Amino acid sequence: MTFTDRFERLPGPLKSGLREPLTHFLLIGALLFGGGLIFKAQQRPVIVVNTQDVAQMAEYWELQSQRPPTREELTAMVRERVDEEILAREAQRLGLDQDDLIIRRRLAQKMAFAGQDVAPIPEPSPRTLESYYDRTRQTYAEPAHLTLRHAFFSVERTEGDPRLAAEAALATTRSGQTPVSDPFMLALTYADVSAIELLRDYGPEFAQLAEKAPLGTWVGPVASPFGWHVVRIESRRPARIPPFNDVKSEVRDAYMAEQRQAANAGFMAKLRKRYRIEVAEAPA
Amino acid sequence: MRLMGHPATWGAIALTTSLFASTALIAAAPTAPAKAAAKPAVSAPAASAKAATSPAHAPGYNTERNAYFGDLHVHTKLSFDAYIFNVRASPDDAYRFAKGEGIGHPGGYNIRLTGGPLDFVAVTDHAEYIGSMEEANRPNSVLSRLPITQGLFSTDPKEIGAAFTRIVTAFAFGGLPPEFQDKSIQSRAWKEIQDAAAKHNDPGRFTALVGYEYTSAPDGRNMHRNVIFRTSKVSELPYSAVQSANPEDLWRTMDVWRKGGVESLAIPHNMNGSDGMMFQTTKFDGTPMDKAYADMRRRNEPIAEMTQIKGTSDTHPSLSPNDEWANFEIMESYIGSTRAVTKFSGGYVRQALKDGLVMQETKGFNPFKFGFIGSSDTHLAAPGLVDDRDYHGKVGRVDSTPAQRGSVPNNGAKSWDDPNAAVGANNARFQSWGASGLAGVWAEENTREAIYSALRRRETFATSGPRMRVRFFASHDYASDILKDRNVVSQAYAKGVPMGSDLLGVKGKTPKFIVWGVRDPNSGYLQRAQVVKGWVENGVAKEKVFDVACSDGLALDKTTSRCPDNGATVNTATCETSRFKGDAEMRTLWTDPEFNPRQRAFYYVRILENPSCRWSTWDAIRNGTPPAPNLPKTIVERAWSSPIWYEPKA
Repeated sequence: MTFTDRFERLPGPLKSGLREPLTHFLLIGALLFGGGLIFKAQQRPVIVVNTQDVAQMAEYWELQSQRPPTREELTAMVRERVDEEILAREAQRLGLDQDDLIIRRRLAQKMAFAGQDVAPIPEPSPRTLESYYDRTRQTYAEPAHLTLRHAFFSVERTEGDPRLAAEAALATTRSGQTPVSDPFMLALTYADVSAIELLRDYGPEFAQLAEKAPLGTWVGPVASPFGWHVVRIESRRPARIPPFNDVKSEVRDAYMAEQRQAANAGFMAKLRKRYRIEVAEAPA
Repeated sequence: MRLMGHPATWGAIALTTSLFASTALIAAAPTAPAKAAAKPAVSAPAASAKAATSPAHAPGYNTERNAYFGDLHVHTKLSFDAYIFNVRASPDDAYRFAKGEGIGHPGGYNIRLTGGPLDFVAVTDHAEYIGSMEEANRPNSVLSRLPITQGLFSTDPKEIGAAFTRIVTAFAFGGLPPEFQDKSIQSRAWKEIQDAAAKHNDPGRFTALVGYEYTSAPDGRNMHRNVIFRTSKVSELPYSAVQSANPEDLWRTMDVWRKGGVESLAIPHNMNGSDGMMFQTTKFDGTPMDKAYADMRRRNEPIAEMTQIKGTSDTHPSLSPNDEWANFEIMESYIGSTRAVTKFSGGYVRQALKDGLVMQETKGFNPFKFGFIGSSDTHLAAPGLVDDRDYHGKVGRVDSTPAQRGSVPNNGAKSWDDPNAAVGANNARFQSWGASGLAGVWAEENTREAIYSALRRRETFATSGPRMRVRFFASHDYASDILKDRNVVSQAYAKGVPMGSDLLGVKGKTPKFIVWGVRDPNSGYLQRAQVVKGWVENGVAKEKVFDVACSDGLALDKTTSRCPDNGATVNTATCETSRFKGDAEMRTLWTDPEFNPRQRAFYYVRILENPSCRWSTWDAIRNGTPPAPNLPKTIVERAWSSPIWYEPKA
């Protein structure tokens, strides 16, 4: 029996109704609508909670509570997770993430982090390092180091003027005597002291004298915050910049740090170029 | 632990520490410390006998010993609170700063050490959750994904406060998530600290010691200690208050380390914020002390940090009503809170030394026999930044401006009468902080071993910031003209004992004391030298402050034991001090006019500078406003020697 045969056997009014164009229209409309519904259901955004996620939630719970979660607890956790995801997505859809200080800061942080220290800095060649050292050698400067002794005449001494006492003591050294010092709380002999330490502990006059005075002879008197001194420099290693080989590893560290900094600054500069920046005058 | 002054904070702190206490029960019980407890007491001298005598001396070696200045209390970004305060300077930066380089302040400017480089430094970050805040701020790290760390890192002081409260509250309610206990984070931070110290340690020139802070505060009462290691041989990880809030567990652990060849000592600080608990005369759990306890405490805690930015703990005016200089940078609140301290006894070193004498007399042991140091407790990775003329607070973004510190009227007001000028309660806490704390040691050379040995034998002194030098010796046999002897120091050592030592009684002899102070060339002149004496009389501890040397040739009044006022003044509108007042050095050979050979006693030196402007006055002058009416305009900077104990002949 063909389709036509069946149609012919239908009752009269139904037969005529089916022939109506309006019926065709409605029928097609209904089909489209139903199909649309099905299509739409398949197009809804999906929230997937996979077994790994569930396992992680359970594990986290166990760390916190020292026991595995019950089935109910796990179900509740999953529901909460899903709700949170839905709320977050809806918030995004409504643009609630715009103009939010915390979200903006977090994003900026993530971006900054993503751009930092990403590219490995290539190991510099010895020649690169040496030329870097040549440009920055001043940073490795070492102060002068001295071996010296001194005699001290306190501003608080009760017998006589300390400056005159120092001069008198200096005079005795001309005849080969060793000057007799007042007791002093700082050291009277230094086997190896840097000019910086002398500057810190005795002030600029003393430090300058120590850097310039001839070796092996008593000189002075020179003032310090404590009184007057006569000084004899036994030996002096002048201020110097150590040769490259002595500071190779420091040079490398400094070079790498600078390269890294430059790379990071370059990343920001590159991003900045993508924008035209307009800043209003700061209010007075 | 520096805690923010959020109104809610302190309740949280109380809870915090009960957490610490409860975790202690879990953590401390089955581990090594318990074992050590069963086998107590290697004898105290054994530890100090370890002083290294290396055959080759470092530059500057001096048998008469040099004064070295340092800071043994320094926090960097690895401390959870410093990180929240926006501090990003590392242990490496801290050492660079100590050597004279500039580093960044979280307030957005650079800071540099005044007064020249320091000689020694230990970075002492909080062991609790060390390095974890940096980790939490690293995107995509495990910690960064935890709910508790979201929005934690703000630059707004209000939000910083909230963040701080959040973390502290989390301690209270069940603790931070277990992710914070990740050993790899701690190990990484601990390694960074050791590496920085190794890199900067330069025998003969600069000593970098490895250390950390043990941050216990039961019910908010400050029981903090810094643990300092002798060499690069250190514990695998710090022993922290997360494991136990009871310092006895820390000491037991240190004893275990020592048996394994890892030598360390612990330095308590901010006893002023302990509400009487630091030097209470019972054990932590309230049971009576015994000799084993006293030995263990002294073996592990030879010195105490008695002055730092959060106040000075020499003595409280209520404990020493006859000491006119007792009211110096007194902080009367709990640490990190506005909660008032109610019990001063047990919170100050002088009272503790007195209690120790009484216990020695009545029970035969003395748990409180320690020397003094000062340090900064900087949370800016800025060791030694304790100059009143150049004060930058210590909690980063939170007290980086004078208005935040309460030294100038609030909200840009020009007068303190302006209704907008009022300083908020949280910021008022910073008003009572002082620009204080350096450690001085007398050591043969500037090496780890020599400096550590000085700490061990208590040949140390504390200053409120200036680099004053103090020497203090005692003997029965000093010649009356020893001070004129150019070999006075070698004589002083040969015939007597230096600060930190015991002087044993000799029948028929009265001890003589060499008291000697030299000013800091970059600070004020000295107005007087004093000896603080504590002794036991009929079972009761007493104290007295003797002036022993006066400046400007003034004569000491023997009946009052006081120097006349030397007339030094400060112009608080300019901070200019009077010229030609005070001495560059003071030196005297002193005998105790009230000496009684049968009385147990201690003596320590206090050297006073002429008055000078307090940091808050400097802030006000720079701001063009009057100094805060509720704060002292000037202070008397000072140095304290470690005590010498007189022990009567048995």
